[in-house]
Parts: sequence; structure tokens; C-alpha cells
Amino acid sequence: MARLEINSVSKAFGAARPADRLSLAVEPGEIVAVFGPSGSGKTVLLRMIAGMFEPDDGDILVGGRSVVGAPPERRGIGMAFQNFALFPHMTARDNIASGLRARAGGGDVAGRVAAISKLLKIEHVLGHAPRELSNGQKQRTALARALIGNPDVLLLDDPLRNVDAKLRYEMRLELPNLLRRGTAAVLYVTQDYREAMAIADRIAVLIDGRLAQVAAPADIYAQPASVAVARLFGDPTINLAEVSPVVEHGMLSAMVAGARMRLGAADGAAPTGACWLGVRPEDLAVSSGSTDDAIPARILAITPMHEKAVLLLRLADGTEWLAALPPDAPQGAADDAVFVRFAPDQAMLFDRATGLRIGPSQRLKAA
Amino acid sequence: MSMVQLLQTNAQATPARPRPRVRLLPYLLSLPALLVCVAILVPFVTAAVYSLQRYRLNLPYLRGFIGAGNYIDFLSDPAFWNTLRISITYTAVTVVVELLLGLGIALLLRRPSRFHNAVSIMLLLPLMTAPAIAALMWKLMTNPSFGILSYLVGLFGVTDFKWASDPSSALFTVVLVDVWVYTPFIMILLLAGLRSLPRQPFEAAALDGVPASFVFFRITLPMLAPYIITASLFRLLDSIQQFDIIYAMTQGGPGDRLMVFQVQAYLEFFQYTNVGRSAALLMILWLITNILSNIFIKNWLRLRARAHGHA
Amino acid sequence: MEHSSLAGRIFRGVALSLILIFFMFPIVWIFLMSFQSNDQILRIPPRILFEPTLANYEALISGQLRTAAGNLQISFMRNLFNSVVLSSAAVLLALLLGVPAAYAFARFKFRLGETIAFTLLSFRFAPPLLVLLPLSLYYQELGLNDTYLGIVWVYQLIALPLILWIVRGYFEDISPDIEHAYRLAGHSWREAFTRIAVPLAGPGIAAAGLLSFIFCWNNFVFALILASADKQPVTVGALAFVTASGIQYGQIAAAIVLSVTPTLLLALYAQRYLVEGLSLGAVKG
Repeated sequence: MARLEINSVSKAFGAARPADRLSLAVEPGEIVAVFGPSGSGKTVLLRMIAGMFEPDDGDILVGGRSVVGAPPERRGIGMAFQNFALFPHMTARDNIASGLRARAGGGDVAGRVAAISKLLKIEHVLGHAPRELSNGQKQRTALARALIGNPDVLLLDDPLRNVDAKLRYEMRLELPNLLRRGTAAVLYVTQDYREAMAIADRIAVLIDGRLAQVAAPADIYAQPASVAVARLFGDPTINLAEVSPVVEHGMLSAMVAGARMRLGAADGAAPTGACWLGVRPEDLAVSSGSTDDAIPARILAITPMHEKAVLLLRLADGTEWLAALPPDAPQGAADDAVFVRFAPDQAMLFDRATGLRIGPSQRLKAA
Repeated sequence: MSMVQLLQTNAQATPARPRPRVRLLPYLLSLPALLVCVAILVPFVTAAVYSLQRYRLNLPYLRGFIGAGNYIDFLSDPAFWNTLRISITYTAVTVVVELLLGLGIALLLRRPSRFHNAVSIMLLLPLMTAPAIAALMWKLMTNPSFGILSYLVGLFGVTDFKWASDPSSALFTVVLVDVWVYTPFIMILLLAGLRSLPRQPFEAAALDGVPASFVFFRITLPMLAPYIITASLFRLLDSIQQFDIIYAMTQGGPGDRLMVFQVQAYLEFFQYTNVGRSAALLMILWLITNILSNIFIKNWLRLRARAHGHA
Repeated sequence: MEHSSLAGRIFRGVALSLILIFFMFPIVWIFLMSFQSNDQILRIPPRILFEPTLANYEALISGQLRTAAGNLQISFMRNLFNSVVLSSAAVLLALLLGVPAAYAFARFKFRLGETIAFTLLSFRFAPPLLVLLPLSLYYQELGLNDTYLGIVWVYQLIALPLILWIVRGYFEDISPDIEHAYRLAGHSWREAFTRIAVPLAGPGIAAAGLLSFIFCWNNFVFALILASADKQPVTVGALAFVTASGIQYGQIAAAIVLSVTPTLLLALYAQRYLVEGLSLGAVKG
């Protein structure tokens, strides 16, 4: 049982700063997904924890003890690599057992290999060399190798990146159970927000070497800390408009493409500066009838997807928005003139200067 | 203190930011190679110093610093100009002939087939023969009394062709041996280059009915250029320093007909025991090869990056 | 592909035949010559068919050469033995020195590493006499002249750059993650080096070793300057033999055959790696 603690860790490669004062703690048994666009520093963070290179500044602790400067083999870390990194000249069995054999008194090596490979459903390929395995089997072998030593910290570097869609779906269901078997603190790097939401207890959103937000999946989706975080979660991505909200009759509202949209009750000091308005595509309603608070728009294209229909809309001022509608909802046809609306409590406001969200709580605080 | 102890001590000394583990290791691993480097550089510097001295092994008491004296002497020394001329002629002729012949053979063998591969492997055998031994083989074949080649040219009415022992045909003979040994070098590099070229441009040209000469000069040659440049520079560098073939064949003779740089320097050193002059001659050769090898390494690195898939 | 016409095919056939004759004939002819007596060799016109004799080889192996002037002691087998010892020792030393260094150059970015790698590379193309002549004077003072150790040491000039640059390429082609994974499984860097990096680069190391053996074997000038008769390899020995034996052409041919056979066989065995070796790792075959 050991806690992983990352304290204000920084790393620079020339002008690039893939880690900028990162702080994060992972409890034993907890799965934290590190999610961010490519090049945001996810892999660098993992590699610093694993000891492939050292941070320029800050400290990394496992179970309260600093591991900075310790060689990788003494850090109590298991890791699964995106490219699997299996030992090509060893069988799957020897790959999995390599860690147990290295440690004095590995105990019942054969028994433990059998148990973990049964769990991962690779018992039948243990005698095979890595080149004879499918990508899915390679990934499971790599996972087995990382899991078998019951490491204090488990690092998974985008483990489902190189496996096909069907397998990825299966693994997404299996992985949380597998990872929670032990008491390892798990850090799971992914570029797929759905994967992060499906697997993790908490998600750490990494953008340009900084942690933009660390929170439970549902909270991040509902209350993104910034416009950048909001744009990373959701498919299709969140719709944005530049607005300058005003307070009228105790209500907060803003002009969006020529229509005055209500944004909820103004509680005292409401934001009235330059803002981004954000509305998720699934929170938009589209109808052919006009009402007061609806944005006139034109349908440019309709893309049916299995559980929804996605409409590409051009608002009156030329802004393009996406709406995701239930497949059974009336959709109209391309080139139809329509009206778009959303409930005031679905609207998010972000400070245009800082990108930070101005949530109801902040509004109250300001009051 | 063993390496491991050293590393551990360092790690304990500075627990906060101890990275000697990474810092020290590469140096320890490359230390022996460094030693070899030093073992090369020390004699190299010594040679440079010798080249500035009056230094004769048989007259040690005359030894002394004379600045550029040895070099200045060369300017008015016909033997030096002869050496320079012969070296350049030898290099130019061998490289051009080997390049043309090697490219021709590579083109003939371009399509991979069992027969073509067998031919290309057979052609490697001359290249794997020690050049000094190759010279002896040709010496046997060009022997005036029983040499098969002397006999064969005799059949064509050329009697009394003296090969390497006649000043007028000596260069031709050693060039022939050089061509025999080293053409396969060019051939095999260009063949590997040809076979690694992408197919699409050739297929597109074939579909469009582009004439073969156009394909060769506008597609094949430009795409093959990095290989041609690297292989030619490789040969240039070796050829201007040729020693084994010429020394084994004629020791620079007849007369001074084949007195290339290294043979001349060797004789200056061992026959005339003039160390200073020998060193100066080699420094001039080094200057030439150093310029060439800088160009070579640049091209070579580019090819290497391509071979290792990070071009 | 390009030449499918009849004229084209005839041209290719003739050209390839001429090429094969030019490059193969000397080897075949010397091989045949080594089985002929001096009388047969001196016959004009030369004959392709003859009574083969092993006398030339017997003379070389026994070290007794009967000439008109009397019995001549020859040490050609000694030269052959020297070639084996010098080349093997040089390659072993180069592997021992070069493989760890190649690993360091492949895995760590450090300035000294690049400097060493490029210094060795550029001296691969420097005139060998430039280093050898001063070295021979040093060797006389150090007592290394005419010792196996001294010759093996200068053979590093040939073997080391080759091994460094080829093996470095092989190490670079191994994903560092594989070694990281092995270390995370609880192994020291040395175990990762010996059990992951070296076995995975194994074919490259073997090929580089074989090729540098061939190049050391074929070297002439180093031993010419640094070795006296009892330390000379075949390349120098064969030349001395020609001078000493005078007109014993059959024996000379047999000596040539014995000198080139080991490298030619090795070359055939390692031919898959020759392109890479000849280009110091810049072109893959």
C-alpha cells in the first residue's frame, strides 16, 4: 500500500516545457487518468515517475519516500507501454515472469504467471514469441508483465492505443476490475476522453505541461475548469460563441447571433465582461418554430450516427455550431431555416481573458 | 573502487538531485574507445611536429625545427609534383572507371532474381581478396614468360607487352587491378541503393510511356545520387591513399612512374630515413583526405539516417 | 522490365558474361595454377587440362621448398597462423572495447561520445602511414615493435570504427522502451545491457565482428611496418615469399589460395551483411 505523490515537478527540454510545476497525488487502489492532447506532457510525466529521466525540479514520492535519483528497478513501479515493449527474444511466459525472477524469492513463479494469464485470457499463448501474438495478445501480455509483481505504482501509457476498436471496447470494461484487484496507485495515460471517463476514478487534465483540472469524470464534464478543458471533453465538441453578458431585470443574458439568450438568474455581481459562451451539442434543441429566445440558423448538413444525429448549423452571424439530437427527434433537412435554443442552466460562461469558467459558485462568491 | 560503488556513493552524497547514474555511465562505457582515439591522435600530432623538423634517422644530430621548410622544399621539387600528379591521375581514373562500370553492373543486376543475386555475390569475391594479394595474383597472370594475360594479348598480335614493368603500361596495369578489386564495392552499394528506391515513379513513367533514357537521367540517377556520391567519395578517399596494390606490384616503379603519396612517404621514411619529409608528405595527403572526408561524412550521415528510418 | 526485346536480352547476356569472366577469371586461374607443377605452368600455350598435383601445398605445409638452388625453409604456415592470431585477437579486443561504447553512443546523448565516434570515423579515412610511421618510432621505445600486442592494437584502427558504427546502428534500432521495461521489472542497467540490448543486437555484432575480421586479415601496411618475419600475416608473408622463392610459381599460387580462402569463405557466409559493413552502416542490404 503506497501513495504516489508528485510535488511541483518540472521538466524542460530546450524551449519545450512538458512538465510545469505538476502536483498530483494518487491513493493506493485509485485510478487516475492523465488525459490531454498529444504533446501535452503525459508520457514525460510517466517517464519521470518510472525513472527514465529525472525531473529538473520537484519531487516524486512513493509511499512517502522520494524516488528521484533511484534507479528504475528500485522504484516499485510496474508499467505498460503504448508500443508494448515486449522482449522480442523471450516467450510471452518469460516476458511475464521476468520481473518475478529478478526479485529474490519470486516465490511460485509458475503459479503466479498462470493466475495472471488466466485473468487476462492469454494462457493459450504463453509459449509464443511476441512476434507470433496479435496486438491484443501483446497488450495483454504487457499488462500481465506490469501487474504480476504487485507494484506499488502502476503506470499505463495509453495501453489501448494500438489495439483494434472491438478489443479496446472490451478492455475498457475489463481494465477497471483488473486494476482494482491490487492496491496499486494507478496512473493511466490516454488521449481518449471516453476511455478516461470509463476507467478512472479521477481525471487529471494535462495541457501544455500544466494540470488544468483534476476531478471526477462527471464533474469534469459538467463543470470544466476552463474553456480548454471543456473543448477536450465531448464529441462533437462544445459550441462556443463570443458574448458580453448583461443583467436585465435580475436575469443574466447575452446576445448570440442576434438573439437575446437567457443565461439564468443574475445573483448580485454577474460577469459582464468579454466571455465565451459554451453549450454542449446535446444540450441544444432545434425547431422550425420561432420563439423569443431562439437563435435563427440554417442547417448545413446532417450526419446520422448510431445513437444520435449531428446537425451542422450556421447561425445568423455565420458562426458554425453542432447540435446532437436523439435519432428520433424531428431533424429537418439540409438548408432548412431553423431556430436553436438551450436551457439557461446548460450554458457555461468562460472568462475570455483567462479561459477559466465562471461557474455559479464563482458568481456567488463574487456577490 | 568499483564502478557500482562509485555510483552508489555518489547517489548517497546528494540525495536530492543525484544524477551521476546517468551522467557517468556513458563516459565509463566509452572510456576504452577514447583510449584508442588518444592512441591515434598522439602519433598524428607527433607526425605534424615531425613535418616541421629537419629529422633524418641516419643523421640524428642534424635534427631541428625548420618551420615550413619541408613544405617549401616540395614547391621546387619535381619528385613532389610527380607524386601529386600520379596520385591524382590514379585516383581520377580508378574512381571514374569503377563508378561507370559499377553503375552499369548494378543496373544489369537490378531486378532481384536468384541468378542476379548469385552473380552479385560472386562479384564480391575480388573485393574480399586482400588488395596486396590481388596484386600478386595479377603479377602472376601478367608475368612476361608464362602469364596467361601476356599470352592472351600475344594472340591478338601484341607481343612484348610488359604490363607493370614498362613505364608506359604500369599505370594501366595497377589501375586494372584496382578496378578488379574495387568495382564490386561501387556495384554493391549502388545495387542496394537501386533496390531500395521507391517503385511508384518508375511505374508511373512506364504507364505514361516515358522513354528509357529519360527515366534513367531524370528519375534513376537523381534518386540514386546520394548512393553514388557516398560510394564515390568512399572510393576517392581510399584511392588517393592507395598503397597495397602499387607497393605489392611495383613498389612505386618502374622508376618513379607509380610514386603515389603513401608509397613515396614509405620510401622516404624507410629507404632515405627522412622522417621530416615523409611526415610533411603525409600531412599534405591528410589535408586532402580530411577535406574529402568531411564532405563524405555529411553525405554518409544522411544515408545512414535514411537506412535507420529517421530521415 | 526495361529490356524485354531480344536485342536487349542478348546485350544483357553478353555483358554479364564478360563481367563474370573479368571478375572470376583471376581467382579461377590462380586456383588452377596452384595445382600445377612449375613445368606445367611454364608451358606455352597454357592448357586448361592438366594432371593436378598437390606438391605445392605439400611444400607449403611442410615448410620445405626444393628449388634448383637447394632446399629452402619457408614459414608460410607461420604467416597463416599469425593472420589467424592477429585478426582474431584484434576483433575480440575491438568487440570488447567497441560494443559498450557503441551502446553508450546509441543510448546517451553526450558530446564526448560524438567526438569519439567521429574522430574514429575520420581517422578511418586518414592516411594510415601518418599514424603508423610515428607509432613505429614510439613502439621501438616502448618495446612494442614486432609484438602481437602492438600489431593488434593498431588493428583497432580498422576494426573499431566499423564495429562502433555498425553496432551503434543496431542499438539505435532497438526501442529504448524494451530496456526500460526490463529495468522496471527489477533489473540493473547491466542486466538490461547483457540480456536485452546485446542479444537483440546480436546479429549486427556478429556481422560487424566477421567483417572486421576480414578487413584485419586483408590488411597489409600495418604489419609491413610493425612486424618482422615471425609476426607477419599472410598478406606481407606472401609478398616476402614471392621475393624469396624466385620462380616457384606453383607454390606462390598455392600460397595465394591459402591466404584468400578464409576471407572468401567468411564473406560468402556473411554476405547478407556485407553491404552494411562496407558502407559502415549507412546502407542496408
